[in-house]
Amino acid sequence: MGDAVLSDSIVIIVVAGLVATACGLLGPFLVLRRIALLSDAVSHAVLPGIVAVWLVWQTRAPLPVVVGAAAFAVLCVLGIDALRASGLMASDAAIALVFPALFSLGVLGVTRFADGIHLDLDSTIYGEIAFVPFDAIDLGGGVGVARAGVVLAVVVLLNLLLVTLLWKELKATTFDPAFGATVRLRPQLLSRLLLIAVAVTAVSAFEAVGAILVVTMLIVPAATAYLLTDRLVVMVALAVGVGWVGAIAGHTLAIAYDSSIAGAMGLVCAACFVLALLASPKHGLLTRRLRRRTPA
Amino acid sequence: MFGLPYTDTVVVLGALVLGVTSGVLGTFAVLRQRSLVGDAVAHSTLPGVCVAFLVAGVKDVPGLLVGAAAAGLVAALLMVGIERTGRIKPDTAIGVVLSGFFSLGVVLLTHIASTADADQAGLENYLFGQAAGLLETDVVVMAVLGGTALLVVGVLRRALTTTLFDSSYAGSIGLPVRALEVLMTGLLVVAVVIGVRVVGAILMVAMLVVPTVVARQLADRFTWVLPIAGVVGAVVGITGSLLATRAALPTGPVIVLVGFSIAMLAVLLAPGRGVLWRASRLATRRRRVRRDAVLVSPDAPVRSLADRLARTSLRRDGLLDDDGLTAAGRRAAEELADRRALWSAWLEHGALVDLPDAREPDPTDLRGSLGDDAVAQLRLLSAGGRRG
Repeated sequence: MGDAVLSDSIVIIVVAGLVATACGLLGPFLVLRRIALLSDAVSHAVLPGIVAVWLVWQTRAPLPVVVGAAAFAVLCVLGIDALRASGLMASDAAIALVFPALFSLGVLGVTRFADGIHLDLDSTIYGEIAFVPFDAIDLGGGVGVARAGVVLAVVVLLNLLLVTLLWKELKATTFDPAFGATVRLRPQLLSRLLLIAVAVTAVSAFEAVGAILVVTMLIVPAATAYLLTDRLVVMVALAVGVGWVGAIAGHTLAIAYDSSIAGAMGLVCAACFVLALLASPKHGLLTRRLRRRTPA
Repeated sequence: MFGLPYTDTVVVLGALVLGVTSGVLGTFAVLRQRSLVGDAVAHSTLPGVCVAFLVAGVKDVPGLLVGAAAAGLVAALLMVGIERTGRIKPDTAIGVVLSGFFSLGVVLLTHIASTADADQAGLENYLFGQAAGLLETDVVVMAVLGGTALLVVGVLRRALTTTLFDSSYAGSIGLPVRALEVLMTGLLVVAVVIGVRVVGAILMVAMLVVPTVVARQLADRFTWVLPIAGVVGAVVGITGSLLATRAALPTGPVIVLVGFSIAMLAVLLAPGRGVLWRASRLATRRRRVRRDAVLVSPDAPVRSLADRLARTSLRRDGLLDDDGLTAAGRRAAEELADRRALWSAWLEHGALVDLPDAREPDPTDLRGSLGDDAVAQLRLLSAGGRRG
């Protein structure tokens, strides 16, 4: 029994760490491109996709749900892009117009058609990290592996591939899209690739660990890393690292105080951010104040 | 009222108060490109509600509202504070505060669920909105808070607008910029706390943004944006809640979808600024350019559909027939050549022309926009230039 609890803990931490890795690879680009809140928008906009899959195929099986959700995630991102491109509003207003509408559509779908099956918004659709160990797939020979772990490992690999293969291009277009365009890097295409990667990552992670944790892992570790370094490659590594710290320390705290695991992980990440905001060697509030008092 | 049962009347009135308040107050957030502050504040009210519940031990609405408002205010001020440190951009600051506060809220919720009695059920409804459970006292609280906020905006309209559009100028004429910004943020928090109960936290965003987007499409002057946003908010709130009651659907999502539809209509159709309007103006301009091109060189080969359409239009106006330009057509072509000559004269010698006031030249009608005297001077100058 004790062993089972221990191995459950390890599964949960590894899955959260995989989410941290997948998000940490992409988060810095979102933060630097000032579209961090797109992840929050996507997390709400996928609901009608999940409801539609239920309505049409009467299934909550992971694959069709992820496909339906991803379809609406992409729809959301492209809709926001179209509104922004009209020049009538800033991108934050475009985000704020599109995702509440999609989310509302989803809520109406749930109340109208899916009430009977109790398609619960919090746990059934968005997943709860505590349940991850109970959903295992058999690898043969009686070796079970958490399904979420397998899915997220694939996502991590894809993100790693995207970021390493297109590193120079992503870096150039993130810091200077105009320069990117002049050297024919096609910033529009790169930005769409990045957005699609975010959508796929977010959707496959929501299903396992819930939306809050994904949004947190995309934004907070990247923001923390941004306070600690000026180099992009270090920033990505730090973002992944902070995410892992959140996963491990958050899980420990959650077990100790018997509280929500995802919530505790989010709180640890936020604490890391506060620490960096105060004590970062270069950008920290306290260090800056100290430096002002004692001129070198 | 509205011939509705009592509970529905309460809901409709609540939606009305929400619409007006968030419409007016949202304007300040949207125009500062902080549209999603509402989203973060709304998520941030969750820990406040939980703490208020833990302290008071019961679900009494004013107490929970105070908790929500306090947490929302702290979150909003944190966002502005993080932004001001310089390194972190507004959207990231909003995202960090949103995640941090919401994580805290979730942790508190699990704590409440494991310790408190069954009375805690329904705290989560704060996030999705429970308009149907709205009580008359809620609406009274909302109306008092919203009315106060609107009154403050009305009294401080000038100072707030100046701070919004040019904070350094506002500082130079002695306005307390920082205090006004805090006040603006505080008012926004009021709107969000009001809305959380009616449309839910996640959907509150739409009520802050839709009225401003619509008002911006309809009005050119900021003086008009505030009142129009208020009216649009009211219309969205009432229409949405009435529709929801009729169709027996949840109020929040219906209000949001009504608002989204109105916003899309405004984006597409608004006179002058709408997408379709601009497209049609662009098409008209293109057609005129084609027509002018055919007038200038009527014998050029017809290459495209646009050319053919331009020719058809010229024929219809009697400027073109099978033998080429008609007499009227030649006159029109001469006028066009004359206008163009005048325009290039303006581009070449315009700086030398002495205009009574600063006037904007219109390339199609220089005489109208600059006046006869200036045009006469231009003709002299260009004739002189050609001679010399």
